[in-house]
Amino acid sequence: MTSSPKDIIESLVFISPEPVSLEKIQEVMTEYSKEEIERGLAELLEAYSSRNRGIRIEKSAGGFLFVTEPDHDPWIRRLLRASRKNKLSPAALETLSAIAYHQPITLAEICSFRGVDASHSLRTLLQKKLVKIVGRKKSAGKPLIYRTSKRFLTYFGLDSLNDLPSQEEISKLLDEDQDEENKEPSA
Amino acid sequence: MDASKDYQINLDVFQGPLDLLLFLIRKKKIDIHDIPIATITREYLVHLETKERINLEREAEFLLMASLLIYIKSQMLLPREKAFEEDEDPRQILVNRLLEYQKIKAACTLLREREHKEFPKWKRTSLPHYVIQDDIELTEVSLFSLAEVFFLLMKKKEQDNIKILRGKDYSLEEKMKEIVAILEEKDFLDFKDYFESQETIGEALVAFFCMLELIKAEIIIAVQDKLFQTIKVWLRRKRKP
Repeated sequence: MTSSPKDIIESLVFISPEPVSLEKIQEVMTEYSKEEIERGLAELLEAYSSRNRGIRIEKSAGGFLFVTEPDHDPWIRRLLRASRKNKLSPAALETLSAIAYHQPITLAEICSFRGVDASHSLRTLLQKKLVKIVGRKKSAGKPLIYRTSKRFLTYFGLDSLNDLPSQEEISKLLDEDQDEENKEPSA
Repeated sequence: MDASKDYQINLDVFQGPLDLLLFLIRKKKIDIHDIPIATITREYLVHLETKERINLEREAEFLLMASLLIYIKSQMLLPREKAFEEDEDPRQILVNRLLEYQKIKAACTLLREREHKEFPKWKRTSLPHYVIQDDIELTEVSLFSLAEVFFLLMKKKEQDNIKILRGKDYSLEEKMKEIVAILEEKDFLDFKDYFESQETIGEALVAFFCMLELIKAEIIIAVQDKLFQTIKVWLRRKRKP
């Protein structure tokens, strides 16, 4: 056993189809102590942060994953023959935002927050696997309960739900908007 | 640049009645906590009427909001002995919803920024999606390349040195005629014997289908004297025209 924990972790992060968590790494690397693994991970992150490379390691959805250098996007798109990524529609984003900040949530609750029927956009989000069904509410009609998924975190580059834009950030944005409105009246 | 363009599109096509209300409140520089219901209702209705592109599916939702506004106004017009306490204000429900909606909208803006930032980063988690998209994009194959592949396959087949013995093709129609002809001559057919006399399984299958077809058409009749005895097939004397 001559491989260093740092290199093994690098392989694990590389091959994992989704962010691999420290717990998962420990589960797999039974021959190594917790301290060795943690040190290896720190070394790995250090190595990647100090070098200019085509890939980076990011912490996302409670785990680690490789992401490509943003500047290299044009060439990757050419390789994958992907013209551009599809943005979420305004309706889908609104529904997603309502779910993210008020989860666990039912469809009826989402609709009441948005003031419109959200079933279509919810279906889109389920298809994109950005939200998931976590159960049924013990109330009349037993409606399904929804939560955001791990993919949601990775999609927005968040480590956990705590990294969602905070109430302060939101208030700040609203204040800015208000100021802007006062300065130049909209047409 | 992109973001500001999107923003305008959003204003143009309101996401819903709350979106429209919020827009009007901002436009009129109204304090969200002290909304003049009559003014905003008028504005709201004018906007609904002048809106060129009316989305019928969404119209009901917009009208629901209009009725809520009018309801709130009527509540406020009712004579009261005392002025409203703050939590008694009929506008409170609407204000709470608007405030909550405003937060969701703001969060959308921030999430959109994040989405924008994440887009040029490629992750393995986002790959399968694109592979699927790629699959849907079919490319047209020219006749020549199709023919080329076909001849290659044929050559390979020859080299394999496998001979497939193909039996005769049996047509249902011919077989039915054959069965009827036999019956007209022999009065009846022994079901079992007849099948055993068939050359191949294929022919036997076709013969069986023919019998079922003829039975259904009430041209022949299959009878069994006793249980476990052979089935005999008779021609019905009276054929349907």
